[in-house]
Amino acid sequence: MKKILQLTLGIVTSVGGFLEIGSVTTAAQAGARFGYQLLWAILLGTLCLIFLIEMSGRLAAVSKHTIVDAMRERFGFPFFFFVLIGMVIVAFLVLVAELGGISFALQILTGIRFPWWALPVSLLVWLLMWKGTFSLIENGASLLGLVTISFVVAAFKLGPDWSSVGSSLIPSLPDSDKANYGFLAVSILGASISPYLMYFYSSGAIEDKWDRSYITMNRIIAGFGMTFGGFLSMAVLVAAALALRPKGLQVDTFPQAALLMTTALPRWGFYLFALSMLFACFGAALEISLAIAYFFAQGFGWSWSEDLEPSQDARFAFVYTIIILLAAVPLMLRVDPIKVTMLSMALTSASLPLAIVPFLFLMNDPIYLGKHRNGWISNAVVAIVILISFVLAIISIPLQIIGG
Amino acid sequence: MHLIRDVLDKQLIDREDCKMGRASGLIMQLGENTQPRVTHIVIGGPALWMRIRPGLRKLSTKLAHLWGPKRKEPVTIPWSRVKTVGKDVNLDVEAKETGALDWELWIARHIIERIPGGGSKEEE
Repeated sequence: MKKILQLTLGIVTSVGGFLEIGSVTTAAQAGARFGYQLLWAILLGTLCLIFLIEMSGRLAAVSKHTIVDAMRERFGFPFFFFVLIGMVIVAFLVLVAELGGISFALQILTGIRFPWWALPVSLLVWLLMWKGTFSLIENGASLLGLVTISFVVAAFKLGPDWSSVGSSLIPSLPDSDKANYGFLAVSILGASISPYLMYFYSSGAIEDKWDRSYITMNRIIAGFGMTFGGFLSMAVLVAAALALRPKGLQVDTFPQAALLMTTALPRWGFYLFALSMLFACFGAALEISLAIAYFFAQGFGWSWSEDLEPSQDARFAFVYTIIILLAAVPLMLRVDPIKVTMLSMALTSASLPLAIVPFLFLMNDPIYLGKHRNGWISNAVVAIVILISFVLAIISIPLQIIGG
Repeated sequence: MHLIRDVLDKQLIDREDCKMGRASGLIMQLGENTQPRVTHIVIGGPALWMRIRPGLRKLSTKLAHLWGPKRKEPVTIPWSRVKTVGKDVNLDVEAKETGALDWELWIARHIIERIPGGGSKEEE
């Protein structure tokens, strides 16, 4: 029974981590610009994430190591430190974007501009980490995050043409605007395959004391949870293709994005959109802050657990306190959250080899996994998707910058 | 035992199951007529940073004198205190007495416990 309850770990990881400002913004922009054509990128990213999350849980269940523990031990301090710097920079930018998402949702609900919300929002995220337990964060975020199902309702109500939805699951090139198409594909992959999700999930498996008996449950959680998240992202893209594209809107601002919901649900759509963004970004902000603190604490061997009092894992608590407060600063200075989102998603894609290649080595290491190490299918799927997103990132990020 | 694979960078645990950092270096004794042998495990500090670049050793020592618990000597644990080497390295010591938790306690006392809800002070 307890194991069935653990499905919530998968759901919160997908709702809080998968559907957040990154996937909503990238999917909405993709739908508004290219119709259904970029659906394949969400499918590819989700498939890769299912494999990666399954691996993260399996590593924890079999070896009792989180990814970071194993990385520091297997590759030594200098390499660990190099990855730490890269991951923290990218995760920090994503955290700024999530806090921006929450602040923007509050702006459209109250009319008070988002820079004013940045500090109160970051203090609230911090307070939940300070006083909350791991299961409160896990279960609270997953239940509240269920409001994002309204994206699926909106997509269905707009009556998509299912045969063209289906055919968009196979990649194709657009007739024009190829640079932008490539950049959006990269950003979608970056929004789907978020390394912080893996760090959060493997630490969560240790917090929940998983052992080998969880291997099957882990597979179900990863498959079910990530499919759920991917399905929601696809719904956003489909709704944007039907509601925004005919009007020629580009989703440069948040109120434009809200139209993808209000077109289908004129009465409640606006509030559902704001609440969906609020809860999804809030869950993601908690997960990213925790993931960054886990990264430091596990890498340096400090004591860590979201269930301890802050004074008992002081360095762990100190890291998330500093990170959350710092993340509010760019927003208070009126940095545009949508721009930060697009930048951080593309950078996530570009940094994937740094996070995933050493991880694949660990997953094939008999010292950690014995007979539970990776088979060729999971190695191949992950390696190919990472290669695709890296190559796309290297080509399209400079093009996007040149093209403005 | 394979020192680099099995000991270096491993999580160190004290006798009360408290995490006390990772093995950031090993001190070896080289005798003329004897086999080299490991005498101590080093925790944190300059030993760690010099593994990235030797120059960082001085920098980290300087910075550590500006702020924090201001410990002069690196934290070392005699090899004789090693109980078991497995997933973690278990040591027969009390973490607080070794100096390995100086930073943890300093941050707890100077920052975390001063914030409301940070936790009890009675332990100290």
